[in-house]
Amino acid sequence: MTLKVIQQRSIWWAISGAVILAGLIAMLISWQQLGAPLRPSLDFVGGTRLQLELDCSQPNSCAEPIDPAKVRQVLEAQNLANSSVQIVGQDQHTVSLRTSFLSPDQRAQLQDALSKEFGAFDPAKTQIDTVGPTIGRQLFTSGLLALVISFVGIMVYVGFRFQPDFAVFAVVALFHDVLITVGVFAILGLLFGVEVDSLFIVALLTIVGFSVNDTVVIYDRIRETTQIDGDRSINEIVDDAVNQTLARSINTTLTALLPLTAIFFLGGDTLKYFALALIIGFLAGAYSSIFIASTLLAWWRVRSEKTLPATPIEG
Amino acid sequence: MGRQRSILAFIFVLAIAAIVVLTQVPMRLGLDLQGGSQITLQVKTTEAVPQITPEKLDGVKRVVENRINGLGVSEAVVQTVGENQLLVQLPGVSDPAQAERVLGGTAQLDFREQRKGTEAQLAVEYQVLQGLRQEQATLAQGTDQAAIEKNKEAIDRSNQAIAGLFDKTNFTGDSLRNAYPQPLNQAGNSWEVVLVFNDQGAEQFAQLTKNVAGTGRSLGIFLDEKLLSAPVVDARYAETGITGGQASISGNFDTQSASDLAVQLRGGALPVPVEVVENRTVGATLGQDSIQSSIYAGVAGLMLVLIFMVIYYRLPGLIADIALVLYALFTLAIFNLLGVTLTLPGIAGFILSIGMAVDANVLIFERTREELKAGKTLYRSVESGFYRAFSSILDSNVTTLIACAALFWLGAGLVRGFALTLALGVAVSMFTALTCSRTLLMMALSIPSLRKPNWYCPGLSASRPLQAEKTS
Repeated sequence: MTLKVIQQRSIWWAISGAVILAGLIAMLISWQQLGAPLRPSLDFVGGTRLQLELDCSQPNSCAEPIDPAKVRQVLEAQNLANSSVQIVGQDQHTVSLRTSFLSPDQRAQLQDALSKEFGAFDPAKTQIDTVGPTIGRQLFTSGLLALVISFVGIMVYVGFRFQPDFAVFAVVALFHDVLITVGVFAILGLLFGVEVDSLFIVALLTIVGFSVNDTVVIYDRIRETTQIDGDRSINEIVDDAVNQTLARSINTTLTALLPLTAIFFLGGDTLKYFALALIIGFLAGAYSSIFIASTLLAWWRVRSEKTLPATPIEG
Repeated sequence: MGRQRSILAFIFVLAIAAIVVLTQVPMRLGLDLQGGSQITLQVKTTEAVPQITPEKLDGVKRVVENRINGLGVSEAVVQTVGENQLLVQLPGVSDPAQAERVLGGTAQLDFREQRKGTEAQLAVEYQVLQGLRQEQATLAQGTDQAAIEKNKEAIDRSNQAIAGLFDKTNFTGDSLRNAYPQPLNQAGNSWEVVLVFNDQGAEQFAQLTKNVAGTGRSLGIFLDEKLLSAPVVDARYAETGITGGQASISGNFDTQSASDLAVQLRGGALPVPVEVVENRTVGATLGQDSIQSSIYAGVAGLMLVLIFMVIYYRLPGLIADIALVLYALFTLAIFNLLGVTLTLPGIAGFILSIGMAVDANVLIFERTREELKAGKTLYRSVESGFYRAFSSILDSNVTTLIACAALFWLGAGLVRGFALTLALGVAVSMFTALTCSRTLLMMALSIPSLRKPNWYCPGLSASRPLQAEKTS
C-alpha cells in the first residue's frame, strides 16, 4: 500500500475541515443552549453530586425500587427543585443527584430527609462530590494554562530539534487533534448529555503528548532523507517519509488503543469517557500527522521556495 | 557476548528486586480506590486579617491537624495548597459530614481560670497526660491499632479531666493579637513566648491574672478544649494583674517548643474562618469495585498488546513482550518505592503507558524490517534498527514528558497522579526498550537456530535466499 498524501492533500484537508466544522457548530449550539461550548461537569461550575445506595442489610429497606418522583418531592421540600435525579443500578436501589453547591449542613439535611423517605443508605457505597464555584474556576484555568504551556514547550522543543516551520505545523496538527476531540465531545454533550470534567483536560494533554510523537517520527524521517538526499523535491521526500513510517504509525496507535478500549469497556464509570476522549484524540493524532502536518509542511516549503527563489539551499 | 551476558544478569537481578519490592512494600492507594474523604478548606480573609500569610496558613493547618487527631482518623494527611487552601485527606472515614463540621468550624482558643483547691490534682492529671502522650509516640511507631485506639481514648479522658479543673471565662482567642517566641538570654538556649492582646483582651487578661496571681493556681490556655499551657502568675501581680496588654510565658522552652506553642496560639487566635469548598468522598465498597475493574482493564489491555506484538512482529515481538512485562514490573516497583499514591487516573496513566511503551519497540522493529528488505544481513539490520530509531524514540518521549511536566506543575490532586505515573512510565519504557529488548535480541541472534530472517520479517525468505551471517 502506498499513499500519495501530497497528491490527494485537498481531500484530506477537506475531511479534517468538515469534522472540525461540525464540532465548531456543535460548540456554537451548545453555547446557546448551555452557555458553554461543552457540557461542563461540576468540576468546572461547582455543585454537589450525591450517590446513595440503600443499605439492604437493614430490614425492609430494599423492598422496592426508589421512585424518582418521591425523590423530586424531597428535593422540592429542600428548595432544590432544579436538581437532576437519576435512579441507577440493577435493582434501582441507588439514587444519583446533582444539585447546586450544598454546604455540609445543607447536604446532611438532604441526606436525612432522603433516609426518612426511603430508609437507611449504606455509607460504604456513598459517593459525594462537592465542588465550590471558585475551585471549579481554578481547575478550569489551571487546566487551560497547562494546555497552553505544553503547546509552547513542544513548539520550542521541536523548533530546536528540527526547524521553526516544522514546529509551527506540528502545533497546527495538535490544534487539529484537540479541536476534533473537543468537537466530538460537544456533539456527545448535545446528543447524550456527556459532560466534561477535569479528566477531560488531562485527556487533551495526553493527546497532545502522544500525537506529537507521530508527527515527530515522520519529521525525523523527512529530516533524515533530506540530509542523505537533499536534491529530491520536498513533495517526494514527504510522500516517502509518510509511507516508510506508515506501518509504525498504525501499529503504535493500535497498541495504544488496545488498552484504552479495555478501559472503556471494563474500567468503570469514571474512566469511561476519559478513555473515549483518548481514543478519539489518538485517532485524530495519527490522522493529522500522516495527512495534515506532513502535507502542510510540504505545501509550505514549496510555496516559500517559489516566493523566495534567490535563497540558496544549503546542504 | 560477555558484555551482553552481564547486562542480562543485571536485568535479571533488577527483575528479582522488583518482585521483592512488590511483595514487601505495600502499594499506596488513593482515596478514590480505598474509600475516604478528600476535603479542601478555603481560608478566608476578614477585615481584621486582609491577607493570608504563610504563617497564618500554618497556624490554621496546625489547628486542623489537632482536630483530625480528635476525630481519630489514622493516616490522615493535611497539606497546604497554594496561598490559602488546605487539602485534607481522611482515608476510610465513615462519617464525612461530621469530619466537615469539625474541620470547618472556627478554632477556639480560650483562657480559663483554675478552680480553687485543685492545685495538687492538676499536677497529677498533667503527669498522667504526659505519660499517655509519650506512650502514644511509642505506639505510633508500631502497628497495634487496638492499643493506639485505647491510648487515644485515655488521652481524651485525661483531657476532659483536666478541662474539668478549670472554669470557663468569656475571654477567648479573638482578643489575642499575636504570639511569638523570644529568646530569654543571650545564649539562645532558653525561650519565652510573648502574648500580645488587643484593648479588650488586655483588660480581661489583667483581671484573670489578678485573680490567680500568687495563689498557686494557674491560668489555663485551652485550644479546642485541650490544655495547651498552664502558666502560674507571680504574686507581685496580685494587686493589678498583668496590665499593658502584653505578657510572656516562660518555662522550660527551647527554640522548638516555644515556636510550637506560638504557632498553636496564633492558630487558635486566628479569627479567620475556613470553609469547606470541596469534598470528594468515595465509599469503601465503591473504591474496591474501582480497583477490581481497573485490574481487569489493565490485565486485558496488557494481554491484547502482548498478543498483537507476537502476531505482527514474530520473534522480536516475543522479545518485546518480555521487555513489556519487565516494564510493568519495574514501573510498579518504582511506584511502591517512591510511595506514589495510585489513584484511578493514575492507573489509567499506567495502562496507557503500557500501550505507549511498545512504541519504542515498534519503531525499532519497523526500522529493522526496512533494513532487512534493503538486503542487509540480519545482525546489521537489528543493529541499525536500534541505532536509527533512537532519535525518533528520544524526540517522541521528550514531547510526552513536556506535556507531563505541564500537567504536574499546574494540575492538582488526581491530575498530578496521572502526570507522575505517565512520566515515570515513559522513562522506564525508554530503559526497557533500549536495554532489555536490545540485549535479548542480540542474545537471540547469537543462537544459530533462531537466525531465520523469516522470523523477523514475514515473507522475506520467499523473495530472497537466506543470507549467511559471515559478513557481520
